[in-house]
Amino acid sequence: MAKKRIKLIDICYYRSGDKGDISNIGLMAKTEKAYEIIKREVTPERIKSHFKGWVKGDVIIYPMDNLQSLEIMLYKALGGGATKTLRIDQTGKAMGNALVKMEIEVDESEL
Amino acid sequence: MKKVRVGSGSSGWPDFKDGALDVAQNGDIDYISFDHLAELTMAILQSQYAKDQMRGYIPEVIPLMRGLLPIWKEKDKHFKMCNNGGGANPPECANQVLKIAQDLNLGGFKIGVITGDTIPLSRVDELRKEGWKFKNMDTGEEDIGSVRDRLLAAYAYTGADEIIEAYEQGADLVIGGRLSDNSLYCGNFMYPLGWKFTDEYWDRIGSAVCVGHLLECSSWSAGTCSNLWEEIDYPKGNPGFPIAEMDENGDCIVSKTETSGGAIRVQTLKEHLVYEVHDPENYLMPDGIADLTQIKLEQVGKDAVKISRYGDKPRGKPRPENLKFCLAYNDGFIAEEITVVCGPKVFQQAEKAHEFVKRRLDYLGLKPREMLWSLIGWDSLCGPTVGSPPPDYDPPELGIRIAFKCDTEAEARACRTECGHLCWASLGVGAGFTQPPRIRPVFALWPTLIPREAVPLSLEIKETK
Repeated sequence: MAKKRIKLIDICYYRSGDKGDISNIGLMAKTEKAYEIIKREVTPERIKSHFKGWVKGDVIIYPMDNLQSLEIMLYKALGGGATKTLRIDQTGKAMGNALVKMEIEVDESEL
Repeated sequence: MKKVRVGSGSSGWPDFKDGALDVAQNGDIDYISFDHLAELTMAILQSQYAKDQMRGYIPEVIPLMRGLLPIWKEKDKHFKMCNNGGGANPPECANQVLKIAQDLNLGGFKIGVITGDTIPLSRVDELRKEGWKFKNMDTGEEDIGSVRDRLLAAYAYTGADEIIEAYEQGADLVIGGRLSDNSLYCGNFMYPLGWKFTDEYWDRIGSAVCVGHLLECSSWSAGTCSNLWEEIDYPKGNPGFPIAEMDENGDCIVSKTETSGGAIRVQTLKEHLVYEVHDPENYLMPDGIADLTQIKLEQVGKDAVKISRYGDKPRGKPRPENLKFCLAYNDGFIAEEITVVCGPKVFQQAEKAHEFVKRRLDYLGLKPREMLWSLIGWDSLCGPTVGSPPPDYDPPELGIRIAFKCDTEAEARACRTECGHLCWASLGVGAGFTQPPRIRPVFALWPTLIPREAVPLSLEIKETK
């Protein structure tokens, strides 16, 4: 089966926010097939490695079948949180943009 | 079937003022809710109130009410309103709104004023002596010992009980302090539909918590900040604010006025339903715990989405025993500087400048607690996920943003001054220095819990003559 590298942005929408030093990313699959792909491919380990040191704590993923979405929590991920961080993006609004650039590998037949 | 139409009036500070006016004028609403507070706003308002007891509320409430009350009068005083714009000083906020009502000859206009969510630090100490521990929900630290001597303010996120009580006493407008954003909506659903905090109603309150979440960020459910941004139209430049028509079973239709721009689609609601909720099966709010995995969204009109039951589990569970409690404390000072490098070789110039600044700080013995060097146009928003620039990539210009955190304001200023020196030291870096933002004190937050009974809320009704 031919494999293809895609970015999450090709099959997902996103919105991200914060609570304290926790970044929260909602990753919404554009189709049912895409939801199956992200449930399988988007793992805490891959997310943490994608953020290369910006996420210092755990990553927890909650699936939401009703919305075909993943609710992703990144702990210790915002440089201390909105009021303490030195980042321009104080409330993690761009963390979703950063995530959807992540590449995954899928079977071409899945798309 | 009994139904109630609740409009969104404001999210945070400041919001588009015309959104609320459009909802009130054209939304055929029974209730409207206004959230005016972000996480840190209460700490800022409490410090204003400490200096001047005529301040400490959200000033935008006044012009907003000046625009809104004439519409309220025109609509035969039909709709009721609640807000958390009282901040650290709901009584004075109410006094100022009463003046507007008086000027408009709105006789018998009643405001319910809720106070008591601000907890004096002496009371915080008492609770600790009684054995309560203010465990940090972010970091897991067991109690506030490490920051006690730097505490500035403390406030509890309160629920809909007093909003409902105020309406029962005939309030037209409720002004509170740190009323939870979500409770501003729960109160407006629960009072007219007769829902109580009892077992019979947790499923429906769960739905109210969910829909409250969809409405509390105003236009964010109606196409702003949306993945559909490029295709959503704003013919007159006025974003729409969502309106929810909730029925007595807890099902609901979210829509917006035809006079506003934006859109209500399954996608625009979905993107807000996943926003900042953490564990979606246990979305904790003062009035109930919603299970957002039990919510179904369905397009039923051009700008109308039906919200109903998805699964067979209840949409809500009993409200938490404790309230969210935030302690704000001093945590040093932040200084920032922005400059723009002109090419060629922008990345090389920026790297050289970075080295130069680090050496200057060492040479002068300046030791910021933290320093962040980022490149606007490359990694300032997405950080290390962008990797290194390709060798042949040389954009015509690049921004450098430098931020420092220091224990004292003087040290933060000294660090920033060294960045200013870059314009003498380098060739292209000094081409575009901006006026730096002012050095700001850091108000850090300690998110924790407090028992409900330790928050002495009270309600007072004020009335025009």
